[in-house]
Amino acid sequence: MSEHLRYAEGGEVHLDFHGATNTTIDFIISRYGVEAMDAIFKKVGKDVYRSIHDDLVAGDTGQLVRHWRHFFTRENCDYDIAVGADEIVLTVRHCTAWHHVAKLVGTPSPHFCDQTSRTNEALAEGSPYAIDTEITGPGSCRQVIRRRA
Amino acid sequence: MIPSDHFTRFYNEVFKFLESQGEDQLQAYFLAISKNQEKHILELIETKGLEGMEEYWTHIKIEENCDMDIDRNEDRLELRMNVCPSLSKVMDNDAEPMGRYCDHCAGWIGPIFDKTGYHLVYDVIDRKKPQCVMRVFKDAAKAREAEKDVQLLMGWPGHKV
Repeated sequence: MSEHLRYAEGGEVHLDFHGATNTTIDFIISRYGVEAMDAIFKKVGKDVYRSIHDDLVAGDTGQLVRHWRHFFTRENCDYDIAVGADEIVLTVRHCTAWHHVAKLVGTPSPHFCDQTSRTNEALAEGSPYAIDTEITGPGSCRQVIRRRA
Repeated sequence: MIPSDHFTRFYNEVFKFLESQGEDQLQAYFLAISKNQEKHILELIETKGLEGMEEYWTHIKIEENCDMDIDRNEDRLELRMNVCPSLSKVMDNDAEPMGRYCDHCAGWIGPIFDKTGYHLVYDVIDRKKPQCVMRVFKDAAKAREAEKDVQLLMGWPGHKV
């Protein structure tokens, strides 16, 4: 398992970008439908995060787990990651992105968490893994990496 | 969650999609982002003018990790972006950069200055280099004079150049 982390960042974080993501999701879906938004998230998963996608296709989950840890820590989320023999589970109890948008606009787009679900699906596409995202409440979710049957 | 650090690369994918749908769609999106941004900057401009703009971009300089010089006098505000973190991330990207990525910046802030009675002169310099100079004037004639010195003047919705 490599120790590579292609997309690491440093310095401050600008959480208001999550508000722009929310606006973008509403804009694209209102004009082009959910399918168009999903297609953009698919490009994020496969092209923007190509290094993580390629690792998963090669059977290596390490970079994705480090990526999660790096960014959920940077954004001060309440989360944990359990690495088991059969599955890896990311439990997000307080998603900073969702709650920041709720503070900005009241109610985030009903499709706000599609950025997670659809991007996860794209990351795993063509790999030995599936990544399932279960929204467990407002600003909370469970993301599970499992080997496909 | 797409991390806030990676919003710009997501933005880049959105621009590529919208460009494929037509210029009017891209312009409509800039206006939607501009409306979104009003909640962060409009009141500052309306109540404090150039000083409010300086306050906003001083905050942005820190949060977005910009290498940027900010200079204000009684006539204008100047932002000199030495290294733009937004374009830098889009260029350091496993996905293809959108050729007109820089257009979004004047695209969202220009309409806000139009709304508040200020005059923007946005010199992108070169769309492939992460640096630009933005000047905002109180006086329209001074803005038109400043336009003579720019290398790549950027327009925005409702203000073609």
